[in-house]
Amino acid sequence: MSQAPGRWRELIARFGLLLALVVMVIVLASISDRFLTTSNIINVLRQISVNAIIAFGMTVVIIGAGIDLSVGSLLALVGVSAALLATGAGLPVWLVVVIAVVLGLLLGLVNGLFVGYAGVAPFIVTLAGLTIFRGAALVLTDGRPISGLPPFFSRLGYGTFLGLPLPIWIMFGVLLLTFVLLRHTALGRAIYAVGGNREAARLSGIPVRRVLAFTYAFSGFATAIAAIVLTGRLNSAQPTAGQAFELDAIAAVVVGGTSLAGGRGGVWGTLIGALIIGVINNGMNLLNVSSFYQQIVKGGVILAALLLDRALSRREG
Amino acid sequence: MSDPATAGAPPAPLLEMRNVTKRFGAFEALKGVDFDLYPGEVHALLGENGAGKSTLMKIVAGVQPATSGTLRVGGEEVAFRGVGDAQAHGVAMVYQELALATDLSVAENLFLGRLEPFVSHRRLAERARPLLEQVDLDVPPLTPLGALAVGEQQLVEIARALGQERRVLVFDEPTAALSSAETERLFGLIRRLKERGVGIVYISHRLEEVFAIADRVTVLRDGRRVLTAPLAELTPDDVVRAMVGREVLRFQREPTVRAAAPPFRFEYGGDGLAPGAIELRPGEIVGAAGVVGSGRNKLLATLFGLGGEARLDGARVASPADAIAKGMFLVPEDRKLAGLVLDLSVRENLTLAILPRLVRAGMFLDRRQEGQEARRWIERLHLRPPEPEKPVVELSGGNQQKVVVGKALATGPRVLLLDEPTRGVDVGARSEIYRVIDELAREGMAILVASSDTEELVGLADRLLVFRHGRVAVELTRPLDDKEVVAHVTGARQVA
Repeated sequence: MSQAPGRWRELIARFGLLLALVVMVIVLASISDRFLTTSNIINVLRQISVNAIIAFGMTVVIIGAGIDLSVGSLLALVGVSAALLATGAGLPVWLVVVIAVVLGLLLGLVNGLFVGYAGVAPFIVTLAGLTIFRGAALVLTDGRPISGLPPFFSRLGYGTFLGLPLPIWIMFGVLLLTFVLLRHTALGRAIYAVGGNREAARLSGIPVRRVLAFTYAFSGFATAIAAIVLTGRLNSAQPTAGQAFELDAIAAVVVGGTSLAGGRGGVWGTLIGALIIGVINNGMNLLNVSSFYQQIVKGGVILAALLLDRALSRREG
Repeated sequence: MSDPATAGAPPAPLLEMRNVTKRFGAFEALKGVDFDLYPGEVHALLGENGAGKSTLMKIVAGVQPATSGTLRVGGEEVAFRGVGDAQAHGVAMVYQELALATDLSVAENLFLGRLEPFVSHRRLAERARPLLEQVDLDVPPLTPLGALAVGEQQLVEIARALGQERRVLVFDEPTAALSSAETERLFGLIRRLKERGVGIVYISHRLEEVFAIADRVTVLRDGRRVLTAPLAELTPDDVVRAMVGREVLRFQREPTVRAAAPPFRFEYGGDGLAPGAIELRPGEIVGAAGVVGSGRNKLLATLFGLGGEARLDGARVASPADAIAKGMFLVPEDRKLAGLVLDLSVRENLTLAILPRLVRAGMFLDRRQEGQEARRWIERLHLRPPEPEKPVVELSGGNQQKVVVGKALATGPRVLLLDEPTRGVDVGARSEIYRVIDELAREGMAILVASSDTEELVGLADRLLVFRHGRVAVELTRPLDDKEVVAHVTGARQVA
């Protein structure tokens, strides 16, 4: 009877990530007295907000046993579209935001239709999306950044509410929305079922194709919100923005304990994953570690997280 | 034909197994089995599903080790560390499920695992030709395997096993996918192998084939050897008698057919199933029997909209979702592959098919009602442990199966399709599942059970359809008799 070790295992599996984060914070706090200050903590949260918002959408796709490589390009395309509408067409800002979000959702849905209904591998579909969306962003802007945006954007990027920067509020908003979707709706349950065992889901009458299509639409939706936030932070929209963002988002999801095989994981883990990556970046910046080394360390952390996950999820036979 | 066991001085056996046991956890699949095989002999291995045939032969082929006991090949005691090890000793198995790469060419498949790093397709094709000739398969060696018919693919699998010098070949239901002409070819091949002194183990459910090709037979029942004898001394009835009569529980129920209620009328066909029709009455349990590939399981899949064509009372069943909407539910044969989402909890699996019913305000799950629904089925099915939040992956096979059944029942189906409802299930859970099936029939559900377990069908069914070659060969009604059913299923009725 390995009852006690089993319980430990469960606890570590559940809270191990949080523990890793806490240990990291303690270590960094003891090395640098600038680390554990309110302003630095808010700084870290603000830095991770764009990546975290994208990663929440990515979590939904990955739980459905998919992958979305197109998010970085989609972010750029939505960003420049919003900027063009806000500067050139003279539309009211609220309408620009609505159009941008709907555009992200529709672009994601196109990915989803190919995956769900045409049965093309998600990797291929979203790889195509990655280059097509990037190309479209470059075509729309002729390759040039768009500035001169209405003040709404910089207020969004730099404003605060109750002392916290708006991007952090938006991040928590998307987090909550994604959490409710995954844990409190029938659709969320269906996503876990489709990702965990597609055949069993189909035999249970779950509309597998529709569910799959939705996950990519949701990823597009979340990425569009991230695009608005980033445009606000930069106070301009760049067609080259968001390159390799898909990798950062996937890293946050995976470090956060969501299984790439699908069916397992959650959005709180992704938040912690994004925090771990953010804290590592921030700590190394404070310690003046060169950005070249930072990339190596980040890769190492991702590998370590995956190995840990494998070791914990190996079930006793 | 000379019987090698009696011809002059007995030669040394090629294969000798003594007192072999195999345990899976608490379950003992083999309980001290002896088995031997002589050069030039075809030794048939028979037994009902779960009797231990495949387990025994997987030990021979190096797929899994025995828990205890000895295995000798050519007089040398061996403990295979893997399939490659067994092959190095000249032992190979031809599987009933094809273990080939359909995107590679026929020739590449023949030498799979033994390909040199650089080899021209032309040379490979040349080396493949003699092997293909041996199995009388006339296809260009560079054709992709997937372009061949299933029976032809089976012949490629056999040709592959011939590719290496073999002393012992195990055929696991080799004719399940073969036409009668292809079966004849296979028999010709087996006879040539015999002449070369190869020892052949032949697993099959079809008695006619066994009597046509084998010299000796060993019958397993519940992991024990109950008979080994030359076939010349036996009648088909002797073999059937040895196969049935397992010492597990015997379930018997009173028929509950409601003659007055209008029946559900199904028409079906396609996908290897001859066009046909069946009627199921509320309160009736109908069994579907037959050997592997007879159409027994395909019937259920077709009725549930998973292939072929099916109509219920004239209306087409387009998909599983459509079938569920029409009041059907299928408990699939393989619970891990198609029945359960292993990462989800008992509760989440039990309610998977009724999510739309648990939705409030358009999208939110009513967690309280979900919990009630889960507890209801946990109680009714006596799930152990009765914990809704446990991941199903941690349950025993029997309790996992109860969850699959519970998920089906939660939908309140009018017609329940059960495909091998108790495969790999312990005796306790088995009797609980039977009890529930009986109750459901009493409540007026129409139930169709496909099973390879004769006792199960005889105990449950009011009416039994015996499938052969994709069609209903005979329909039996109560009182059903085990031996008669087995005789019809195996085709012994046609031999005797």
